[in-house]
Amino acid sequence: MSAEAETGRKTSGNGFVGDTWINLKRWVLKTTRNPFVMTVSLLNPIIFLVLFTEVFGQITAGAVSQSLGTEASYVTYLVPAIVIQTALIAATTSGIGLVEDIENGMFEKVLVSPMHRGAVFLGKSLSEVLRIVVQVTIILVLGYVLLALDTGASLDEYIATGVPGALGIVAVAIVFSVWFTALSNVVALLTRDQESTIIAVNLLQFPLLFLSSAFLPLEILPGWVQTVAALNPITYGVDAARALMFGQDVMTVIEVSSFGGLWNTLVPALAVLAALDLVLGAVAVSSLNSASSSDVQ
Amino acid sequence: MNAIDAQHVELTYADGTEAVSDLTLEIPEGEFFGFLGANGAGKTTTIKVLVTLLKPTGGTVTVNGFDVEADPRSVRESIGYMAQETSIDPELTARENIRFACEAYGVSAGDRGDRIDDLLELVDLADVANKQAKDFSGGMQKRLDVATALVHEPPIVFLDEPTTGLDPKARNRLWDYFERINDRGTTVFLTTQYLEEADQLCDRIGVIRDGSIVASGSPSELKARVGGAVLEIEIADPDDATLERARRAAVDADVFDDAPIEVTDEGLSVRSTAARRRGTDLLVALKEAEIPVTGFNVRDPTLDDVFLAITGDGLDDEEAAAEDRTAAAEVDR
Repeated sequence: MSAEAETGRKTSGNGFVGDTWINLKRWVLKTTRNPFVMTVSLLNPIIFLVLFTEVFGQITAGAVSQSLGTEASYVTYLVPAIVIQTALIAATTSGIGLVEDIENGMFEKVLVSPMHRGAVFLGKSLSEVLRIVVQVTIILVLGYVLLALDTGASLDEYIATGVPGALGIVAVAIVFSVWFTALSNVVALLTRDQESTIIAVNLLQFPLLFLSSAFLPLEILPGWVQTVAALNPITYGVDAARALMFGQDVMTVIEVSSFGGLWNTLVPALAVLAALDLVLGAVAVSSLNSASSSDVQ
Repeated sequence: MNAIDAQHVELTYADGTEAVSDLTLEIPEGEFFGFLGANGAGKTTTIKVLVTLLKPTGGTVTVNGFDVEADPRSVRESIGYMAQETSIDPELTARENIRFACEAYGVSAGDRGDRIDDLLELVDLADVANKQAKDFSGGMQKRLDVATALVHEPPIVFLDEPTTGLDPKARNRLWDYFERINDRGTTVFLTTQYLEEADQLCDRIGVIRDGSIVASGSPSELKARVGGAVLEIEIADPDDATLERARRAAVDADVFDDAPIEVTDEGLSVRSTAARRRGTDLLVALKEAEIPVTGFNVRDPTLDDVFLAITGDGLDDEEAAAEDRTAAAEVDR
């Protein structure tokens, strides 16, 4: 009698998809247990959206319109940046969740279970994607409310590419989030400490946002900011979302003209982000692998 | 087939620390095995190798017939593991924690409900089943952790100090359960701080020191190996001066040849094969030296004495370890 028959293998029934689902459920459940965290993490982007629009709306209208070549409201200009900021903050929490799991022993408990390790991390990542979908949708709706209150604009004047474009913006946020999710997990594994992880990734948030095309057209910013912005992933995320918002090519850091219209922004921006996702994703996977196969204490 | 078969296992950490060296363990199916050793002796590292959390840097390990390196998933499916640090998700309720474990180990949906209820009952958490674990006391969290390690009724369970920090009632309840699952054929691998626990539960005990096994056998074999009996003498007003005087008198009397006379809080203690036969001689010697003896007792050695003799110290006392190498060597053959 083989050892396999003897233990019956009765416990291996889940498969990769089943294991992913089990982990997704746990993380979604954890998120719903903390509605406060969900709300507070949206508060920062919302404050940015409202304050920036109210304070800078008048003085930036000219520059924005000039940059885009059309009459545009600052709300519409700013929403793609806030979408990316939301994705950035959501990605930050991924590493924090990992450190929590290491601290309370669940990381080890899951590793010693027969679940597929890839599925364990995929399930967790999908819960973060879900959260980005919900939060970005809230920001998009809120942006429209602000615009409608301000100018009484119709939905077409808000997102030029309509509902497919709105879905596209959510997709851009997801593609954008991967590299920062990976980075926050790597930082988490290096520090193994919640506070350090929070501080490290939050420290990055503001310089990244301000040294990019997020808040103002790059043409009116100092030369060195333009240089940094060209190397800043935020620029590519914001430009991709903004191209969908306005239905036109908005990118200035890489000039491409062979795809036509907004694709001249979307294709290069997504290509840059995908490359970055792959590189940092690989680093995160290998750090997770070595953390999983060595002492986790 | 041995449930656990570890041959010449080595584990050297990346920083060069040799946590386990040439450790060999063969544990037959159905055995209740107790794994004892001082803190830092290599207990937890050994368990982590057996449960696939650490890869051995040398030697071979099979658990349930599966090689831990070649087929870790099959090993994981067939074991339950409870880590030394309580491992639960504090944001989930007790029921959700157990349900997650059921799902992770593929307990079928049909059995899940009953299994969860049984386990909640077993660890006495049924009345707080729907409360978040973060509001539980340390003991309650520990009990919940035990429940999650048992969901799939594995043929082997590894319990790394499962009862540390529990009150006596909860401890007794778990002892009962461990004995019950062992009676049903489950192999149990237990580490514990409580020698009494090992004595009561284990068929066989292995003692680890500096990363390898230095003694193993049933509790009674180990006690017999220590040999003799322990004579304990209580002295009135045992201040330092009196105790020193008593010790000197006992040494001068030379009743027990080379057996060391130990000073305790209450008086003196000596372990010797002649303790029963010649104990009165020592009492007479003390009376002649005008030491006021208020009580005495001759008893068989306990596992504490075994442990003391083998490792030269108690479970938590590292400093004393080096002093008593000779005693360890004697027992070590």
